[in-house]
Amino acid sequence: MFFHIVLERNMQLHPRFFGRNLRENLVSKLMKDVEGTCSGRHGFVVAITGIESIGKGLIRDGTGFVTFPVKYQCVVFRPFKGEILEAVVTLVNKMGFFAEAGPVQIFVSKHLIPDDMEFQAGDMPNYTTSDGSVKIQKECEVRLKIIGTRVDATEIFCVGTIKDDFLGVINDPAAA
Amino acid sequence: MEKSSPVQKTVVLQPFVKLVRLVARAFYDDYTTKSDNQQKSAKSDNRGIAAVVLDALTRRQWVREEDLAKDLQLHAKQLRKIIRLFEEQKLIMRDHRKETAKGVKMYSAAVAATTDGRAEDKVKLHTHSYCCLDYAQISDVVRCKLHRMKKKLKDELEDKNTVQEYGCPNCQRKYNALDALRLISMEDDSFHCENCNSELVVECNKLTSEEVVDGDDNGRRRRREKLKDMLQRLEAQMKPLMDQLDRVKDLPIPEFGSFLAWEARAAMAARANGDLNPNDPLRSQGGYGSTPMPFLGETKVEVNLGDGNEDVKSKGGDSSLKVLPPWMIKQGMNLTEEQRGEMRQVAKVDGGSGGAAKLSDDKKSVIGNGDEKDLKDEYLKAYYAELLKQQELAARLNQQEYEIQLATTSPGRQVAKKAKREEEDVEWEEEAPVAANGNYKVDLNVEAEASGGEEDDIDWEEG
Repeated sequence: MFFHIVLERNMQLHPRFFGRNLRENLVSKLMKDVEGTCSGRHGFVVAITGIESIGKGLIRDGTGFVTFPVKYQCVVFRPFKGEILEAVVTLVNKMGFFAEAGPVQIFVSKHLIPDDMEFQAGDMPNYTTSDGSVKIQKECEVRLKIIGTRVDATEIFCVGTIKDDFLGVINDPAAA
Repeated sequence: MEKSSPVQKTVVLQPFVKLVRLVARAFYDDYTTKSDNQQKSAKSDNRGIAAVVLDALTRRQWVREEDLAKDLQLHAKQLRKIIRLFEEQKLIMRDHRKETAKGVKMYSAAVAATTDGRAEDKVKLHTHSYCCLDYAQISDVVRCKLHRMKKKLKDELEDKNTVQEYGCPNCQRKYNALDALRLISMEDDSFHCENCNSELVVECNKLTSEEVVDGDDNGRRRRREKLKDMLQRLEAQMKPLMDQLDRVKDLPIPEFGSFLAWEARAAMAARANGDLNPNDPLRSQGGYGSTPMPFLGETKVEVNLGDGNEDVKSKGGDSSLKVLPPWMIKQGMNLTEEQRGEMRQVAKVDGGSGGAAKLSDDKKSVIGNGDEKDLKDEYLKAYYAELLKQQELAARLNQQEYEIQLATTSPGRQVAKKAKREEEDVEWEEEAPVAANGNYKVDLNVEAEASGGEEDDIDWEEG
């Protein structure tokens, strides 16, 4: 699920950026630092949408660095248990398959793949129904439901299922 | 030997005994001490032995395992094996003690006390093990067990999305699907153990997994049928056990306390020879144990504490446990509530009916005597002035103490105490001005009442 929230961060800025463009420098550094990171609490920071406020800078003793407390608005993405996501399959093996929904990695184990799909080893490992009408392989898109998340301080990993109504392959670029 | 002890009168043991008997038959009926590779002849078939042991334990409290073995005519080793099983299953408490002659004697005395007489005197220096059913834990454990059984079946029936587990065949380490990212190896796309790098296998803990193989609709339907049937049978067969659990849920739990506590209590009961009511500490335990669910280990601590207090109370009688002065109470001190001054509230409750009256009577008589001895108003005035001064002092001290106690007592208790205290203070403040007005003629009673309300402070000062 996506959220638009306000976060705060203390930015350290090198003295060489002090000048007319201090603010721009600060913002670009913030974007570089924050976008794409993941915190267990808020999820993945997808994009910064605006700067709320920049506090007074504090010169650090000993170094010339200045610390600015910056409040910024950003879009975060955090997967939840029970959430339905669309993801791209990245890897298929006999244990199940891995898929990615944006920054999140999701693993679907074999027993959460419908019983009528069988694993086919080979050059392009895949799961196929007995009549061959549905095939899950690398690069294809699946709709899945998250049944478990593992949230670490800097990492989120999910376990999903496609063993439910309206879940499974939604688009297979290889077949098209 | 097989008598329910006299100590067990207040808490009803019967439902718990029934529970244990049901549990024994439900779960340990076909437990045998033989390992599987040993051939089972009809003669050595000792199924049901576990149930026998459990039944025997329901008729006892703490028992030395040797004695139990003798009573059941079992080999001590055999019994120990079963006992250990029950210990693992958390049905019983055990205590091991390096026994001196004195210890044995103590136990013997305890046995004599609880089973009216007949205790063999054995004086050896061995480690003896004692065991006792832990009824509180049993009811929790059984409830948990049943819940897990049902949940497992239901999950499987509803095809609940469970997180797949993997196990390492080599080092027995367990993983689940959430670890998948770390386990995947680059070489062959399968999962490898972090520890020994051997390939992981899918942990199959499904009850009906064998039938998944044929995978088609038919097989799945059959599997569902089987699961449903299993669930129904579970419900039906466990019905008596569940009913008994429900019945037991709100009853006070019979507690024997730790072995040492039990022994001490039994010895005490023996010493009192029936005069001192041995049920008292137990009754209070029933009160503690009567909280319907989690009977956690901590309760034991509370129970012991309560025991001590009651002893002191009964011994001390009116001269209640001395309240520690507030400056002696520190954060980490392990005090009873009486010592912290909670006792006063108890005393106050009493004072509402008898204590205050008595005290005021005392006061009056003292004053009356004074009147008779010396009728001069001067004296009276001086007396009241002194009393007033004293009371002011007491009030100030009380205030101080109150503040200190606020700081020292735990926050949970603080609220209640604060409320009570505030009542007290209000009461006092209402009455104090009357006394301060100097209306000495009328205030004989008022004064007495005020001191009745303030009883604790005066107590404190005098003591």
